[in-house]
Amino acid sequence: MKLKVAIFDLTDCEGCEVQILNSKFLDRILENIEFKYFRLGQKINKWDNFDVAFIEGIVITSHELELVNKIRENSKIVVALGSCACFGGIAALNNFTDIEEAKKYVYGENANKIEILNIKSLPEIIKIDFMIRGCPIIPEDFERVVSDLLAGRIPREHTRPVCMDCKSKGIPCQLLKGNVCLGPIAYGGCNAPCPSAGMPCDGCRGPLEKPEMSAELDLLKKITSQDDIIRLFRRFVPIAPLFKEVAGGKL
Amino acid sequence: MIYDEFVTQIEGHGKIHFEIKNNKVVEIRVEIYEGSRFFESFLRGRKVDEVPQMVSRICGVCPVPHNHCAVQALENAMGIEVSEQIGMLRRLTLSSEMVQDHALHLYMLVAPDYLGVNGLTDLYSKFPELLKKCIKIRAVSNRAIEIIGGRAVHPINSIPGGFAKLPTRVDMEKLVKDFKSIINDCIDTFNIFANNYLEFERETEYLAIDDGVNFPLYAGKLVSNKGLGVEAGKYRNYIKEIFKPYSNAKFCVINGHGFHVGAIARINLFKNRLNPIAKDLLNTSQVKFPSDNPFYNNLAQAIEMVHYVEEAIKIAEELAVKLKEEERKKEIKAGTGVGVVEAPRGTLIHEYTVDENGIIREANLITPTAMNTFNIEEDLYKLLTININKPKGELKNLAEKLFRAYDPCLSCATH
Repeated sequence: MKLKVAIFDLTDCEGCEVQILNSKFLDRILENIEFKYFRLGQKINKWDNFDVAFIEGIVITSHELELVNKIRENSKIVVALGSCACFGGIAALNNFTDIEEAKKYVYGENANKIEILNIKSLPEIIKIDFMIRGCPIIPEDFERVVSDLLAGRIPREHTRPVCMDCKSKGIPCQLLKGNVCLGPIAYGGCNAPCPSAGMPCDGCRGPLEKPEMSAELDLLKKITSQDDIIRLFRRFVPIAPLFKEVAGGKL
Repeated sequence: MIYDEFVTQIEGHGKIHFEIKNNKVVEIRVEIYEGSRFFESFLRGRKVDEVPQMVSRICGVCPVPHNHCAVQALENAMGIEVSEQIGMLRRLTLSSEMVQDHALHLYMLVAPDYLGVNGLTDLYSKFPELLKKCIKIRAVSNRAIEIIGGRAVHPINSIPGGFAKLPTRVDMEKLVKDFKSIINDCIDTFNIFANNYLEFERETEYLAIDDGVNFPLYAGKLVSNKGLGVEAGKYRNYIKEIFKPYSNAKFCVINGHGFHVGAIARINLFKNRLNPIAKDLLNTSQVKFPSDNPFYNNLAQAIEMVHYVEEAIKIAEELAVKLKEEERKKEIKAGTGVGVVEAPRGTLIHEYTVDENGIIREANLITPTAMNTFNIEEDLYKLLTININKPKGELKNLAEKLFRAYDPCLSCATH
């Protein structure tokens, strides 16, 4: 029996789904799983009891709030796909602004016709079984989770900081160069694409379970201003656990 | 009869709503219910270097144009002029994005319409060679973006003034070889999508950017087949955004009517600037451009895939002999600037006001799909009216097929 899978996307950029399409093993994925529901990939989409539902994106409307509850009821396993689902993603930046002013800025006199909920991560709304982190995810993580589930294994995550990815690739340290970098406290396993491209890590996979937050903050304070530190934590996962406090101004 | 369902195989969330009474189309609505993320609002207060990476998150399907439109707008705002090779690298990443994005759209989203299959899984089991071709084309074009930008989905190192890290001449040699290895696959793509289009026409305005030399891609004036020809910075005088209560994304009009951007607009306006192989293919095609058939947008995309592969090879060949290290220009100056690029789906506009500390004070973004939606509604009205006697299921398929032909991205449209 093939695994009965659903892929749902809420409001977001759909980049994590694109990363699935970018998988080198897309043919094998298509061979081994049966997509019951995959709006981006097929015409006929039916509700069923899904073995696994992947949810990408954020709950921003009440329609989406109903939808995720319905998905949970109909799925044995729910996987949060990407950092929008795992942590609320970039749109959670709206939680730090005056949302009525934001609505007026974008929609002018029609501001009151637009709905936006206070952004929460998916695990704050429904029970999540696994997370695939990253903005965007890397195809390898999706492949690994799928092959684990197919083999009946429990998917496990890397629990190493991004610094380990840099070290193993021999990438020069951004902090030693004097740039603000979240590598030491950020969840790794991403192959450090940002430092590899000459940019610091902005922690898009969220924090490690027990990061050295105060040591990291002390270091960052030596390099840059409080405002810049807040901006750094307020980027792609501003309401992730532990990041949220700094993003809110508690340094 | 009322039809009101979400559309599959497009980026983002939207419905086509239509209502037919007494054999007349009485209501057409493209309802874009993708949630609003308020990018323009939360970009205020950010530093210029953060913006390109942040705006790429508007769209995971076409992140490069958002990134490059932002760097161009910010450089214009701060009066930064970049070197020739930075411009070339940007044209190269944009060309690569066109190829991967058009391939994704044509093979993975559109092909099922024409082959009568449900979607990706059927495509794989019944037409595996097509899916393999798509995967090969996209692997090469994605890899090119990764080599230059650091990552294909959400490029990393492209910032105002240039790149945080430049690729090498050896990288460029590799890209030449890689792109040459897919040119025949792209020509095959043209042949696969060469005909079988629905006959349908409606006259409209086609808009694209014009830098005076190249087939539209990076920077230029806004021009149209109806005589528009204005500096990009003056876009607000011509392109008006209007709000419709059933859509989170705004609709755009010029002089109160819809207009069309994207592959068909670019080819209608600038087919004479296509690269040689693409131009030859176009000349052998039974379909003649300029055309007023929106379904031909898919054929235009296939022609563009060949054109942009040729373009990528041309640029990479030149950079393979002359690319050199350079310091990124990091001046900060207050000002307002507009950027325009051609995204796969059409003309994209970003505008920012930056203060003397390099902090964003104002932001405005207009995406290709927002520009196309009004035109799509006008097309749908005509398409359904002339097919009014067809059965309900067929009308639904026609409407969705037309919508899909535009390659709409509702994540972008709403942002």
